[in-house]
Amino acid sequence: MGAKKNGSIQPNTFPTTTTEGIRIYYIIEGRFEWHIAHQPYSFYPGDVALVLPGSPLGSDNGILEIGSFTWIHLRMQKAANGHMLPGKWSGLSESEGAAIGKILSLNSTPALSRFAEAGKILKYIHTELFSQEIGYQARINHHVAGLLIQSARQMTRQNYSGRDFPKTFMHLEEMLRQNLAHQWTVEEMAAMVGLSTTLFNERVKSYSGFSPINYLINLRISEAIKLLRRPEISVTDIALDTGFYSSQHFSTTFKRLTGFRPSEFRKNHLRNK
Amino acid sequence: MKCIITIELGTNGVRVFAFELNGRVIGSMKGYHPTFHTEPDKSEQDPEQIFITTLYLLKNLLNEYIHPKKHKVACICFSASMHSVLAVDKNGSPLGYAITWADNRAKKESEELRHSALGRSLYAATGTPIHPMSPLLKIAWIRHRDKERFRLTSKFLSIKSYIVHQLTGEYMMDYSIASATGLLNIHKVAWEADALKFAGITADRLPDLAPVFTSAGRLKKAYQQSLGLPAETKVIIGSSDGCLATLGDGIKGEGKATITIEDSGAVRVMGPTVLKDEQMRFFNYLLTEDCYVSGGPTNNAGNIFEWFTRQFGDFSHPYDMENSMRELIEEASKVPAGSDGLLFLPYLLGERAPIWNADARGAYFGLNIKHERKHFVRATIEGILYEIYSIGKTLGEQRTIKSLSVNGTFGTIPFWTQMISDMFNRPVRLRQRSHSVSFGAFLLSATEMGIYRSLDEAARTVELPDVYKPDKQRHAVYADYFAIFERLSGKLADEFKAIATLQQEHASPADRIKNIPAKPITRKKQKQ
Repeated sequence: MGAKKNGSIQPNTFPTTTTEGIRIYYIIEGRFEWHIAHQPYSFYPGDVALVLPGSPLGSDNGILEIGSFTWIHLRMQKAANGHMLPGKWSGLSESEGAAIGKILSLNSTPALSRFAEAGKILKYIHTELFSQEIGYQARINHHVAGLLIQSARQMTRQNYSGRDFPKTFMHLEEMLRQNLAHQWTVEEMAAMVGLSTTLFNERVKSYSGFSPINYLINLRISEAIKLLRRPEISVTDIALDTGFYSSQHFSTTFKRLTGFRPSEFRKNHLRNK
Repeated sequence: MKCIITIELGTNGVRVFAFELNGRVIGSMKGYHPTFHTEPDKSEQDPEQIFITTLYLLKNLLNEYIHPKKHKVACICFSASMHSVLAVDKNGSPLGYAITWADNRAKKESEELRHSALGRSLYAATGTPIHPMSPLLKIAWIRHRDKERFRLTSKFLSIKSYIVHQLTGEYMMDYSIASATGLLNIHKVAWEADALKFAGITADRLPDLAPVFTSAGRLKKAYQQSLGLPAETKVIIGSSDGCLATLGDGIKGEGKATITIEDSGAVRVMGPTVLKDEQMRFFNYLLTEDCYVSGGPTNNAGNIFEWFTRQFGDFSHPYDMENSMRELIEEASKVPAGSDGLLFLPYLLGERAPIWNADARGAYFGLNIKHERKHFVRATIEGILYEIYSIGKTLGEQRTIKSLSVNGTFGTIPFWTQMISDMFNRPVRLRQRSHSVSFGAFLLSATEMGIYRSLDEAARTVELPDVYKPDKQRHAVYADYFAIFERLSGKLADEFKAIATLQQEHASPADRIKNIPAKPITRKKQKQ
């Protein structure tokens, strides 16, 4: 991690760079015009630039504007799906860690505005790192985890204003549809749209009439019906593709709702061919 | 005890109700399913998800309210939103998603047909306004733009026909839904040859026509078992949401009209004759062979107030739309009728009745330095209701309206109901609890069972307890401002067209791909 105070403008003092880790910059003074992943953004004091692994960061002609900022670079573990995954050190449970890694990895807006808390956390880490008092490593782990958690929360809050639930729900729907095979938990769904689990349950129920999990099950069965009409896919594959633990689990759930076993449904709908 | 179950396949979701034979509600449930707008003008829904949602709700309603009390289900009756099209192949498998009423992809075809002699004669024969919503135009669109789907299609169904087919194996379309396809001759109650020709199909590619009382066959064995319903449970094909909301409010007979205000809105009358209109402003749909439900629909109703609330409401409780709307309405009530001369044209989504102008856009008019935020709130609600009133006024040219009933989520907000009463200068009645569409489906079922001798008798039993009375002074104020509202809606036609054209030309790329507002990225630097 580090801090920089820039007093004069000179070319090629801020060349475009790409790193393997995630980079978090907190702006203290001045105004910076940076390119992140080839998109231009403006940053003001209190803003955070969050640069993903492999994402280039730079500016026009390598110029660095006058002002100051602090930063931290973190090398992160990667999950099987390529998303970042905060390790055991963070104190996050496996599913929470995966959710936060996912939110950070999928995020399309690297500019987090009015995020003063990030500045405070960076300052604590800085102090701990320099004084090296007893327990400083544990304290730093704690603060770094806090920074990742707050960044994820800030991101979802910025993307979902709290005004348009139908739109938020559509986004969630889309995420679920794109990855029905994933073992979604309610905590993870809530985190993806920036709500507490309690509030999320309440809003989904009052808007859709379903609990989040029941809504998801209906999505899975609807998708399974479509796939069952296609004879080239095996029932076991359909079960796993639509997020059921096993073909047994699929069969029971399918029959409970539709009255047919998946194989019966398939037979009925292919009979006339 | 015997009971009647109604299933309403609505635009945003499914509602199921259980009624005692005397009309008392035993229980109800609702379930949402999404509408996909992946391209401009496209609006589609997943038929399988609608089916699963329906089954889920039906099963839960039965398990929670019916089976534990050992009620016996006498019949299940359907209602559905109008104008949907679902193409299925020879095995009954859907070819793509169902296209909803809100899909506008056939707008070019529609515009051409509307201004032709054929268009005028089709409107007179079918009672359905020439508009992209109409299955007539949707099927023609599929024929020209999606040739493969057209070729593979064995039948063009409505969403309801599909759900009923899943449950019983019958392909059927009731008179009400059929009369909203633009393909049915409503005077002869038979498919209209010229309309079929325009769509490019023969009658065997449509489901069988059936009166609304028709039993649509037995539930398949598997559903009898999974739902716990006996084989003799009757499945009644039912009618459309518009027709049933009108029946449910007891609007049969002279001098009555009903106003529905949900996301969109409509003013309707019911009677033995159709409304003829040179300007093709009204729809005429069939409830039965000798009973027409006529009126005009607006695009801009509750959804516009929701839009306003999202922009200007207080959301300290995330996503608490109801609370935010309540606060705004309270604010509006502090402003006198007429909003001290601030007018709002609510045409954010273009408009159907009465101006039928897809290019129409919204405007606030008459702003002066004394107007405050609260004036905007009230003006917004007044503008939405002036538009409802202007539909009522054009209907009034052909039918005398002596009393009104109101239904729908927004129409039944007391502040709105009172305003409707004041604008129309008529008493307004409404039912607070149950849902007019479902109650209409109940009346239809009860008539089929012989509890009532006719729909007329059933409609006469409807009692709407709450009455709002008009206030003369407020009526006078609204009448003054409405005159300007009405003139503006007409006078601005050229400017509407000009701004709509520019909006399309200058649309940002993101908006062009997705028909949803772009994400507000507060500080992203604009490319020079």
